[in-house]
Amino acid sequence: MIRFDNVGMRYASGPEVLRDMSFALDPGSFTFLTGPSGAGKTTLLKLLYLAEPPSRGLVTLFDRDLATTRRNDFPALRRRIGVVFQDFRLLDHLSAFENVAMPLRLAGRRERDYAADVEELLNWVGLGDRLRARPPTLSGGEQQRVAIARAVVGKPDLLIADEPTGNVDPDMGQRLIRLFGELNRFGTTVLIATHDRSLLEKTRARELRLVDGRLVELRVQNA
Amino acid sequence: MSASTQKRESRILPREAGAAPLDVVIGVMAFLAALALGVSLVADRTAETWRSGLAGRLTVQVLPPDKGEAEPALDRQTNAAVAVLNGTGGILHANVLSQKDTMALVAPWLGEDALVAELPLPRMIDATIAPGETVDVPALAQRLKAAAPDSTLDDHSRWISRLKDLADGIVWSAYGVLALIAIATASAVAFATRAGLEAHHHIVSLLHQMGARAGFVARAFERHYALSALAAAAVGAALAGMLFVLTGGLEFVGVEPVPFLPPLGLKLVELPWLLAVPLGSGVIAWVTARLSVLAALRNIY
Repeated sequence: MIRFDNVGMRYASGPEVLRDMSFALDPGSFTFLTGPSGAGKTTLLKLLYLAEPPSRGLVTLFDRDLATTRRNDFPALRRRIGVVFQDFRLLDHLSAFENVAMPLRLAGRRERDYAADVEELLNWVGLGDRLRARPPTLSGGEQQRVAIARAVVGKPDLLIADEPTGNVDPDMGQRLIRLFGELNRFGTTVLIATHDRSLLEKTRARELRLVDGRLVELRVQNA
Repeated sequence: MSASTQKRESRILPREAGAAPLDVVIGVMAFLAALALGVSLVADRTAETWRSGLAGRLTVQVLPPDKGEAEPALDRQTNAAVAVLNGTGGILHANVLSQKDTMALVAPWLGEDALVAELPLPRMIDATIAPGETVDVPALAQRLKAAAPDSTLDDHSRWISRLKDLADGIVWSAYGVLALIAIATASAVAFATRAGLEAHHHIVSLLHQMGARAGFVARAFERHYALSALAAAAVGAALAGMLFVLTGGLEFVGVEPVPFLPPLGLKLVELPWLLAVPLGSGVIAWVTARLSVLAALRNIY
């Protein structure tokens, strides 16, 4: 479903950030991406959520070779991916509700059809009383939960999260991981980049480890 | 909850606070465009007034003969010319201008001295062509020449064509000014759109990342710029419209109109034409913003 074959990535004429990367994510799999800061985790995620093209190598996403996919088809591919950005990237002029609803709006759905789902999801992440709040009035942890709700609301085929539990307490962190697990049970492929070893220890999932731009470790946690 | 979010649903870009510099530029452009448009309307209307005033009229001038007794010859030739005119099909009536009327015509140039009265002035015959009729002017001129050798016939066509050229020149110059203003407006909007894309880069790239089609992002921008251009241009055009109404009313407050110059005011029925300015500005802003956004998005992966 998702494959990298000898993928390399450099920004402009800088050094290669990722080198000879080859791996696959099976449909419905749950994977952690770990590695020290600066190892290239975020760059790898960017290739996956179609924010950057690879400098070389072959990327296959949803069984399509990206090199031969028409640019016009990219928006539809991107709508199948939910992303939790490390810096959340919420729109400050929209409410929590409107931020979470954005992927549904982009998919062409009407508010009266999705309003109840969005409210329920925000309730689930503990923000039921903050629906109309703007991101600047929310705490870091609350913003993170809005970002997560936005990433999962469209039940994407692929969920990519960059340090999704960095700003929440351990209990909420576990609750959010359960949310990802729930989504995964319904078929979503999940890839989570994290520093937090405790998350890995409590979850039965595969780990991909990135060191200096190379995947050096492939193992299954608690298998 | 739902009701309040529904109202906000189309707002992808944050509303800008205060009057943006672009609004001021568009307002001024619209003011100038409305002035140019108004002047073209005045020129067009004035040319039409002059044309309709002179068209359908013929003037025959009988010059005093070089030698011999002037008055009897003038009388004879004038009567002969009037007879020819009255005998011509299509001519409604022909009147000889009285000595007093003729003196009044030359008064602005020669004054009203008793001396002037002694000058050998030509006789003027004013003939009116019946509405809808045509007169063969060269043939009439020949017959007049035969009956009254010192007569000349003027159907004002030279005058009319020069006035028409003048009015056309003013109208086309106004169109040229309008075109320049349209180009300047489009450039200003393109510049502002690019600045807006820069300022809202985080929104645009996020929407792009979430799978928004280029058209969705473009719609947010084109709406934003078209509506503010419409509002700013409406203010500019309204100010110009007020100026035209005020100039039109100057004579009522005692400012004397300049002779031969048309009144610069617009009539009430002509004012709705100025609506074209805000509408045009809105369309220019709409199209420019859309093209600028689509061009910028093509450069994002």
